[in-house]
Amino acid sequence: MNWKKFFFAFIAAFGFMFLFGFLWYGKLMHGPHQEVPILWRTEADFGNHFSSLVFGHVVMAFFLTLLYARFVPAGGAGVCAMLGILVALIYAGADLITFAVQPLTAKILCGWIAGHLIQFTIAGAMIGAIYKTDSRMTT
Amino acid sequence: MKRFILAFIAAYIFIFFWGWLLNGVFLKDVYAQTPNLWRPQSEMMSLFHWIIIGQALIVFAFVMIYASGFAGGGVMAGIRLGVLLEIAAIGMRLGFYAVQPFPGKLIFYGSASGLIEMIIVGAIVGAIYKPAPARTPG
Repeated sequence: MNWKKFFFAFIAAFGFMFLFGFLWYGKLMHGPHQEVPILWRTEADFGNHFSSLVFGHVVMAFFLTLLYARFVPAGGAGVCAMLGILVALIYAGADLITFAVQPLTAKILCGWIAGHLIQFTIAGAMIGAIYKTDSRMTT
Repeated sequence: MKRFILAFIAAYIFIFFWGWLLNGVFLKDVYAQTPNLWRPQSEMMSLFHWIIIGQALIVFAFVMIYASGFAGGGVMAGIRLGVLLEIAAIGMRLGFYAVQPFPGKLIFYGSASGLIEMIIVGAIVGAIYKPAPARTPG
C-alpha cells in the first residue's frame, strides 16, 4: 500500500464528498427536503450535530478509499469509477428501504439516488486517478 | 454464474430475515420513540416491495463487487469487504444523524447490527462464490 498516495486520495475524496453533499443535498435539494420539515433537525439543532456530519464524511471517505485501494491496487480512474457505481447501488438500495419506512417524497428519493450515483462515481474516479501506482516502480 | 446466483440468493435470504428480526422485533421500541419520523404501519406495508427491491439491490451490488475484485480470497475476503462497506455506511449514518432527529441509540444499534449483518453477508458470499477456473488451451 502506498500510504502517501492513499492519504492524498483520501483527502481529495473527503473534500469532494463533503462539498458535493453540501451543494447537492444542502442547496439543490433544499426545496424538496422542506416539503417534509418534520424529518429534519432545526437549524440550531443541526449546528449542534455538525461535528457528526464532518466525522461521518471522514469515516466514509477513509474506508471508501481503503476499499478502492484494495479493490484496484494499481489504481485507475475508469475501474474505480465502475466500483463507485456499484457502491452507489448499495446506497441506492438503502435509499429505497428508507423511502418505504420514512415519509420521504418520490422527488427526495430520486434526488438521493442520483446524488449517490454521481457522488460515488466521481469520488471513485478521483481516488483511482490519484491512487495510481507507477508501473516503473513495480518489478 | 451459477455460484453468483446461489451467493445472491443465500445472502438475500439472510439479509431479509435479519432485517425483519432487527427492525421488526428487537428495535421496535426504539423506533416507537420517534413516531413522526416513520410511516404508519399500513403505509409501510403498501410500500413493502421497495424494501424487497432495496435489499436485493444491496445484495446484488455486494456480490458484484466481491466477484469482480475480491473473489478467490474466500470467506475472509468476503468478511473484509463487508467490514469496509459497513464502516463506510456507518459514516453515512452519522451524516443522517446530523440532519435527522434520530435517537443516538438507534444509530448505535443500527451500526452495530449493520456490522454484524455485513460480516455474515460477506462470509456467506465468500463461502459460496468461487471464481471460474482459468481455461487452458487444448
